[in-house]
Amino acid sequence: MGLCAFLRVRIRYSGTVTITEALKTIQAAAGQEALSYRVFLVCGFTPLHLQTFLAAHLQRRLAGRKVSMETGLFGSTAETLESLSRTDAQAVALALEWQDLDPRLGFRSAGAWGPGALADIRNVVSAMLDRVAAAIQSLPESTPIACCLPTLPLPPVFHTAGWQAAEAELALDQELLDFATRCSRRRGFLLVNRQRLAEESPAASRLDFKSDLLSGLPYALPHADRMGEALSRLIAPPSPKKGLITDLDDTLWHGLVGEAGPESVAWDLASHHHLHGLYQKLVAALAEEGVLVGIASKNDPGIARQALDRRDMLLPMERVFPVEVHWNAKSGSVERILRMWNISADSVVFVDDSAMELAEVAAAHPGIECLQFPANDVAAGYALLRRLRDLFGKPRLAEEDSIRLESIRRGGAAFQDAARDVASAEAFLEQADATVTLDFDITSSDPRTLELVNKTNQFNLNGVRYTEAEWSERLARPGALLLAASYRDKFGPLGKIAVIEGRGVGDTLHIGTWVMSCRAFARRIEYQCLKALFERSGADNVTFDFAATSKNGPLREFLASVTGTESQDRVTLTRERFEAVCPPLYHRIEETQSSKEPWTQSQPA
Amino acid sequence: MDSVATRLTNCFQTVFPDLPAAQIPAATQQSVAAWDSTAAIMLINVIEDEFGLEVDFDRLAELDSFERICAYLKAQQATPAAADGSGA
Repeated sequence: MGLCAFLRVRIRYSGTVTITEALKTIQAAAGQEALSYRVFLVCGFTPLHLQTFLAAHLQRRLAGRKVSMETGLFGSTAETLESLSRTDAQAVALALEWQDLDPRLGFRSAGAWGPGALADIRNVVSAMLDRVAAAIQSLPESTPIACCLPTLPLPPVFHTAGWQAAEAELALDQELLDFATRCSRRRGFLLVNRQRLAEESPAASRLDFKSDLLSGLPYALPHADRMGEALSRLIAPPSPKKGLITDLDDTLWHGLVGEAGPESVAWDLASHHHLHGLYQKLVAALAEEGVLVGIASKNDPGIARQALDRRDMLLPMERVFPVEVHWNAKSGSVERILRMWNISADSVVFVDDSAMELAEVAAAHPGIECLQFPANDVAAGYALLRRLRDLFGKPRLAEEDSIRLESIRRGGAAFQDAARDVASAEAFLEQADATVTLDFDITSSDPRTLELVNKTNQFNLNGVRYTEAEWSERLARPGALLLAASYRDKFGPLGKIAVIEGRGVGDTLHIGTWVMSCRAFARRIEYQCLKALFERSGADNVTFDFAATSKNGPLREFLASVTGTESQDRVTLTRERFEAVCPPLYHRIEETQSSKEPWTQSQPA
Repeated sequence: MDSVATRLTNCFQTVFPDLPAAQIPAATQQSVAAWDSTAAIMLINVIEDEFGLEVDFDRLAELDSFERICAYLKAQQATPAAADGSGA
């Protein structure tokens, strides 16, 4: 394969589409019945191509949705944004260019350039950025906004030669960064990484100068495609992976520990094996961010442990759990680690230097992301580090992220062992010193609530994902009820682990959403939540909008056991039946202060 | 229908999905309501994709019917530069 062909393959992998493919994607979706996903694109130029590419990339990311795009007035970015203070769009995309901040910074204006104009240009830019920032702040709080700072080159307005940065140019950049910093404090403000964009769309080939002058379409088609992809990635990002399982020899360190010995494996700069050290540092950072890290290695456990316990390890062992070191198949190690973490294979990345081991694990665990550690290729190693960052990247860190590993390590294994024996399970639960905190505050703005709804797969009533706007709409319905449950026991806190959303009508409570973190299984929290719902609502019946998904077997089994019926769709649980089947509950119950407000159900139509 | 016309018909169907296939060979900017200035640009972009050539924006105004675009493409294909796929 020649270099060009190789590059094309790489570019294809990153999601490049042609304008024809984009149009066909949009048209294919137009004929389907699906929930709509409305996006408002704000840009100061004719949005023809950007709109098409953005819609196509979003359509590809949002399976089961029909993307529709709206655009505002051309040449009036701030005004368009200001008109959106009551938008019902589920997301806003803002492609800001210099010409939006001052027309003299574009190529279609007759306004003067030159030293005399520069001070005024800076003032105009500053004032316009203030106006745009204020308009962004006034958008509905639940509406995410994906923004890209100017991508096109500034025209030759400065006195310096093009290879020298002008002071006035730096001042404009400073205004821009101040603006971005201010806006990034707003919840849901998402900014395109300009360095990454520059890799995917080189600066020199972004502007189609002739098209800009003749038609007002400044973006070269490949740049419009990359911009569409960049904005769509912010609006509809892939779900971050939750766990990383790593090999040891020639992966976490250089060398075979069983042959070289614990003191001779290396990961430092002096030995020229610093790539392994960088990998350790990244894995340590991921663990600190809440990613579960486990080890699967074919080795002598005693020897491997000596290396893992070396004081110069950059990955602290207290952040790694579990460690599977023996001579059996790695697919079995991965199986046990997944069971301990209680997450599915498609949430996990497995890193190993051996293509054969990767293939063995991939065959046994469909969906797991297998990445080869390129021990002898430093450039490929750098690509691996970046790939891992992308796979595990998340827009924000939650408190639950920092306690995840500890709760699994301290409680998960003990609970799972106890659950295998009925008598010991009962005693174990009784002695767990558990507290469930119930929060019925429907006005809560904690982003963890919706995050849990949108990322939970196994204990999930129907797999429906919501945008912030859709979630707010559901909670604003008459009779709406929201329960967010947190949990702690003598093994430590699990944080917020369950969310139930529903609506009371007459003597029935209709549940549309119910998720519970897999970390909270086997603690009867699901029963405690149902008990709380019956008590809070006073309802005699609870109806669940159940829909089977490929992953929600745990919830299906629970509903079947508690209702006594196997159902593929809506199912009802009576108070009488629940009281008959509910096992002993040992939790201490706390309610947040805001939960003590009375709840009013909706009257039947 | 020759291969250029067939491929061009596909381009029209991509840009004007509501236009019946039977009407495409006779389509003109006057007869197709959806063929406005932005659709004209999109049509040329799709034709560039399909035929692997670059159409000069200055010629946009004269490419105002299926027949004229078809003739333009055939003329382009007759030149060596277009024939080897390196663009017009």
